[in-house]
Amino acid sequence: MTHAPVLKVENLQTRFKSVQRGKFVHAVDDVSIELYPGEIVGLVGESGCGKSTLGRTIVGLEKASSGRVLLDGVDLSTLSGTALRNSRRALQYVFQDPYSSLNDRQTVGEAIDEALQIDGMRSRTDRERRTKELLDQVGLADAVKDRHTRELSGGQRQRVAIARSLAVNPRVLICDEPVSALDLSIRAQVMNLFLRLQKDLGVACLFIAHDLELVRQAASRVYVMYLGKIVEHGPSQELYDHPSHPYSQMLLASVPEADPIAERQRKAPLMIGEVPSPTNPPSGCRFRTRCPLVVDECKQQVPAAYKLSPGHSAACTFAVDLHRGKRTALIQPKADAA
Amino acid sequence: MDKLNPILARLKKMPRAALITIGLFVALGTFAPWLAPQDPSAQNLLDASLGPSAAHWLGTDHLGRDTLSRLIIAANTSLVSVGSVLGIAMTIGILMGTIAGYHRGWVDDLLMRMVDVGLSIPSLIIALAVIGIVGPGYWTMVMALALAWWPMSGRISRAVAVSIMSKPHIEALRVLGASPWRIYFGHLLPGTIGAVMVYATADAGTAALAVATLSFLGLGIQPPTPEWGQMLVDALPYLESDPRQVLLPGLALTAAVIGFNTLGESIALNRIPKPLTRRMLAARRLEAAGWGKENSDA
Amino acid sequence: MHNEPILTVSNLTVDLLTAKSAVRPVDGVSYSVRQGECLAIVGESGSGKTVMNFAPLGLMPTGVTTVLSGSVKFDGHELIGRPESEIRKFRGRSIGFIFQDPMSALNPVRRIGRQIAEMAELHLGMTPSAAEARALELVKLVGISDPAARLRQYPHELSGGLRQRIVIAIALAGEPKLLIADEPTTALDVTVQAQILRLLKDLQKRLDMAMVLITHDMGVVAGAADNIVVMYAARAAERGPVDKVLVSPRHPYTKGLINAIPRREDPIGSEFRGLPGVPPTLGKPFKGCAFATRCDLAVAACSANRPPLVPTPDGSVFVACSVVNQGKAAA
Repeated sequence: MTHAPVLKVENLQTRFKSVQRGKFVHAVDDVSIELYPGEIVGLVGESGCGKSTLGRTIVGLEKASSGRVLLDGVDLSTLSGTALRNSRRALQYVFQDPYSSLNDRQTVGEAIDEALQIDGMRSRTDRERRTKELLDQVGLADAVKDRHTRELSGGQRQRVAIARSLAVNPRVLICDEPVSALDLSIRAQVMNLFLRLQKDLGVACLFIAHDLELVRQAASRVYVMYLGKIVEHGPSQELYDHPSHPYSQMLLASVPEADPIAERQRKAPLMIGEVPSPTNPPSGCRFRTRCPLVVDECKQQVPAAYKLSPGHSAACTFAVDLHRGKRTALIQPKADAA
Repeated sequence: MDKLNPILARLKKMPRAALITIGLFVALGTFAPWLAPQDPSAQNLLDASLGPSAAHWLGTDHLGRDTLSRLIIAANTSLVSVGSVLGIAMTIGILMGTIAGYHRGWVDDLLMRMVDVGLSIPSLIIALAVIGIVGPGYWTMVMALALAWWPMSGRISRAVAVSIMSKPHIEALRVLGASPWRIYFGHLLPGTIGAVMVYATADAGTAALAVATLSFLGLGIQPPTPEWGQMLVDALPYLESDPRQVLLPGLALTAAVIGFNTLGESIALNRIPKPLTRRMLAARRLEAAGWGKENSDA
Repeated sequence: MHNEPILTVSNLTVDLLTAKSAVRPVDGVSYSVRQGECLAIVGESGSGKTVMNFAPLGLMPTGVTTVLSGSVKFDGHELIGRPESEIRKFRGRSIGFIFQDPMSALNPVRRIGRQIAEMAELHLGMTPSAAEARALELVKLVGISDPAARLRQYPHELSGGLRQRIVIAIALAGEPKLLIADEPTTALDVTVQAQILRLLKDLQKRLDMAMVLITHDMGVVAGAADNIVVMYAARAAERGPVDKVLVSPRHPYTKGLINAIPRREDPIGSEFRGLPGVPPTLGKPFKGCAFATRCDLAVAACSANRPPLVPTPDGSVFVACSVVNQGKAAA
């Protein structure tokens, strides 16, 4: 691994005007992450935690209200106009829904050709050659280029969308739930495509997903997000083996298992309530309203991120205890009270 | 031919009567100068107010002009003026609407307030006001009606443009670093035009009526150019002696208006799935019956 | 255990006729559910799992003509061939429904309490005041805190999980004998999913209902269902008790699906296991086995004849694969 991150996000904040007048929703609140060349990094959390907004802010689809996005050390906020567009092209986004991310009026060839044109490839023959190459890279036959995108299956469309992003030679792919709209039996094919692209092209991937097992297998590192903040991050194996934030513990324990015997014995977490509104986030630690370990201190101050092992840190007062297994947020479920 | 097929398939779904009416109207309007059997302006007072005959299939008016020829030429007048009105109005409307939809923010607010003002006043009143200021005349009428008409297509275009702009495929282009020009001309404008054109059909009927109304009031197309509304006025004094001269242009206008409205409505309705016709259903049943059934359990 | 199944579907075939095409999304499928039992129906999009449950109850979009054949017996009544007006009496009353998206299943402009009470009035003929009391009871039943206050709220004021609980309460209002849940947890977050699933399971046992759980998530199946039907391209590929089918799947498709689920012991960065090819689109029925083109066990005979569902020697699991079944017979 090279030591200079290809993408560095520093104290990023994205806020939206709330429906309540004068209030703001802090969808992303003071988030810092790093991506090194050629690595796949997972970003997990429940819907509404701000993980998609973070991804969209990084590529410029949402405006950051503060903070910086550095690409190869260049602060993108210092650029504007054509210079910004040209630099930011190295950051590409793969959308969740392959049906709406392609223009139905275009053929596959036209969609990819357009991306190549945008990237400044003038010669038509060059573009045709490159289109063929790109289709091959994502595992599609050359003949597909004359088909309209609406004639393709979801899996094929997602491949076309990936080929189009690759057309501009990105350094970083931000993948927002890229397989969750696809059928079960073809998810693996698309996931393997990402693994191959990362190996062959050295593209770094920020993989946003709610499917924790999928992320674990693909990503070398994982960030866990809750209500606009990163609550824990670390190497996948370490984080999945020793989740050290109560939220991570609960999230991981919520995943049902396909084996009925294991599933019946699974320690289900006792979740208290649901995600509070990001318009009025709880004071102090944002997870305190749902945390079984909550103490008075959690209300007063935002917990600092504790370093637990190389690259692994969690923002919880009890992180060290949780990491060592001295405490746990998992409670054996009591009989359901009516 | 491949590109034509979906269009033909779509035409098949339209109500036949309306399609024929509008087809006839467009054909007559386009080829009027060659189709009209006689000079529509040639007066012959000896032949005035005649009934149908071999020489004058639909008779003559009080100045002895051939009614059929006048009706046909009037279709041309109507088609050209309605076409120009809608053409100009839609160009303005689509431009304003897409600019508003692309930029949002204050540009959007400004343009849409203009549209609101335009929409809050009945279009005929706007047209009358403009004609009142500039004075009657053919092009004044066209411009006046276009001015009254654009807010409608502006509003629709803006709605369509906003929905297109929020689509992930536009966001994908932004992420690719496409220039605003490419997004606007390559994707937003073609997409909006396609969707807004549909509404133009339904509007054409109302526009035809407005042209006739203004001409009827003597503010639009001026004599001797034949125009249905103006033919109505011409014949009005002779209503009792020769009602046919009032009836015929009136019917032509009514047919055109109803034709456009029905067609526009059916285009809109075609986007909603309809229950099958009995014939289609029978064909499908036959197809499915041929599949046979097997018991799955051994 | 009760012996008589409450729902028996035998050899159900559904043809859907639209202006553009005729398709067969369900092709000769049989299964049954007993009282107090949960049956999971698993399949990908287009496998017919949803149509199979909704078409016999007259729940299909307009513009589609449905042709049903075979038999669907519910509580002793044959549903196929019954006029819509009579089928309507079952819907929402003795058969309750839970849909994937709780927001679209609720009326956004009516209070929660009214929506639940309405169902009780409609199906049980209760007076408005009795129905209000019943609504309160139901909201307590689905484990909602501060029930009286919730009844006065509108759907948009609630979170996704709470909304789904309300949808469940509405489904229970008619005191159903059978609950059909179509992807009840798919739209919910993983932490909420577990709660809703546990609630459903608990209610089903407590009220001694039969439940049909339509899902694509094997984890959901493992946690809640007793039996499972695996659907592929309009047909049942495998059917049997969950403990057997999920633990030792026999059909190559079921095997592939279960194998494709990422596991804890898979090394990081390793290839994802999956199935080759793509699932077929709906159309006319396949001549042979629909899975043959994606199957690594396929032989020439597979594409010639449709494989019948053959029971294992102990009669518990049924598999529609001639290769697997022959291998077993030879051994």
